Amino acid sequence: MNIEIQITNQPIQSRGLSEDYSAGAIAEFSGIVRDLENGEKISALEYEGYSPMAENEMRRILESLAEKFPCFAARVIHRIGIIPVGETAIYVCIAAEHRGEAFALLAEFMNRLKQDVPIWKRRGIVAAVYDRRQQRESSKTDAGRAPLQLNDALAEISSRCQPLPSVRIRLEESFGRVLRETVCAPEDLPPFDCSTRDGYATLQNDAAETFQIVDTIHAADWKPRQLKSREAVRVATGAPLPCENLRVVMQENVERDGDKIKIVRVENSENVRRRGEEIKAEQILLHAGNRINIGVSALLATAGCASPLVSPRLRVCHFTTGDEIVLPNQTPKPGQIRDSNSILIRGLLQNFSCDLRQKHLPENFEQAKSQIENLKSQVETANVILISGGASVGEKDFTRELLEWLGFEIIFSQINVRPGRPLIFGVNENRIAFGLPGNPLSHFVCFHLFVAAALVKLAGEAPKEFLRGRLVAKLENAPNPRETLWPAWLDSAGLHPLAWASSGNITCLTETNALIRIPVNRGSIDAGTEVEFLTI
Amino acid sequence: MRVLFFAQAKDAAETSELEMNISDDVGLEEIWEKIVAEKPKLAAFRKTTRLARNGEYADAKTKFSDDDEVALIPPVSGG
Repeated sequence: MNIEIQITNQPIQSRGLSEDYSAGAIAEFSGIVRDLENGEKISALEYEGYSPMAENEMRRILESLAEKFPCFAARVIHRIGIIPVGETAIYVCIAAEHRGEAFALLAEFMNRLKQDVPIWKRRGIVAAVYDRRQQRESSKTDAGRAPLQLNDALAEISSRCQPLPSVRIRLEESFGRVLRETVCAPEDLPPFDCSTRDGYATLQNDAAETFQIVDTIHAADWKPRQLKSREAVRVATGAPLPCENLRVVMQENVERDGDKIKIVRVENSENVRRRGEEIKAEQILLHAGNRINIGVSALLATAGCASPLVSPRLRVCHFTTGDEIVLPNQTPKPGQIRDSNSILIRGLLQNFSCDLRQKHLPENFEQAKSQIENLKSQVETANVILISGGASVGEKDFTRELLEWLGFEIIFSQINVRPGRPLIFGVNENRIAFGLPGNPLSHFVCFHLFVAAALVKLAGEAPKEFLRGRLVAKLENAPNPRETLWPAWLDSAGLHPLAWASSGNITCLTETNALIRIPVNRGSIDAGTEVEFLTI
Repeated sequence: MRVLFFAQAKDAAETSELEMNISDDVGLEEIWEKIVAEKPKLAAFRKTTRLARNGEYADAKTKFSDDDEVALIPPVSGG
């Protein structure tokens, strides 16, 4: 048996086996740190190991078990050090010919590991202590880091997000998912020569004027026969023609007399869709990475792909923050405003096939944490966590702390882009989180630029690219040291810059369907100038 | 001989390792006695804690020498 063992103090990210064993069964086990240890609520567990001996012991156990349960390969990764709740402490993968040996070896290995392998759970770490440790650690990762440029932030996001595992589902349920397989045509389309008119089929080059009607073919009929000169077949629109090399004369262009017809007007068109005219058998119809819209789903149906392999539905948790926010159906008190970000996120996510959970958090950090505790299972299984507001550095801005408390490593917290300088991006194994600036325009721009890029990557879709287009009107802008994304309306004439004064503006959102990208320190731009933009 | 302490044994010994001099061909019981002589608190661990010699569990027949690395392995709790 091929054995691979690793003891690490880093998060366990790789999965599966490094070689292909043509196994009939692959059994995987992940041991996860729970939030209770000896009845005490914890946020992390510290493990200690005598690593060289632990590796030897694991190898010895696996070798002895392989005599009883023959398997092809085993891979074990045990993490030690401080492991946050919800993260993997041990990962085991067994490949075997059949599931029986794989399950048996895996189960027995775990039992023996817990008896003999010198690794110890040392202590549960309660939230407060853990927070401080995390803060110290995270201060290494991004504190003092200059705000990222737009392209650098996008590159970070792209490198930290990996496509989620594919699922095979019914075509009817696949709208909005991303196709994860190449789909080829199983047969020619159309599969036979067919008539595009109600009329009479004759040989293509038959110069005769009068024809004998020898058959009638409706749309669902299949009546192959070789036509001779001066013979015609009555055909309906869509009917399969009885042989190749025929034309169809529209019924309006003949005079019929019993079972004979006479052509009275000559047409240029043959009124036939030829076999394979649109698609040849085995031709590639769709590549992986296409998002399934109505047209794509119709093509999949035509290709007989009734259960496409697609991206999974994304699980998203969205939290709004700030005591100044009231629900849209409430009247704001002095100093308060209505929440527009919840509906904005709901709308923005509609194109991404998501299961969305939304919740407003109180401004008190401890209260916010206890509200999240109530949603623990949703939060822990979410692929994406979005927090609107609280991303800045004010006294009550706790988004960063909250994400760190949830075990996220903060990759960046500031971008050199306006609107939307405070943008937090964090990762926790294969989960990601964004802290979005609360102002509506910043919120909107940051979603389209950054969150959408992450969602596209997780779904396995091709990234959206900036396009080039012309300004219809002058864009009045004061030079700014930050790259600017300017709301615009795109129509057939080109790009119309929209008026906005601050990142809190909301009226321009109703018309915005594009964002114009203005380079650093570039002032006003004249009408007719070509600029970069993103369609949204 | 280098002696390594882990987990609760490390807490009790208040150190993670210790240097000891022994003569060759020493048995398990003698090693324990020497360790407890150095770290009396470890006496309580004798019933539950196994010894490892150079990364393998030792038993009653194992003979130790001065070049060995010995580890005290309290009940494990990995996974």
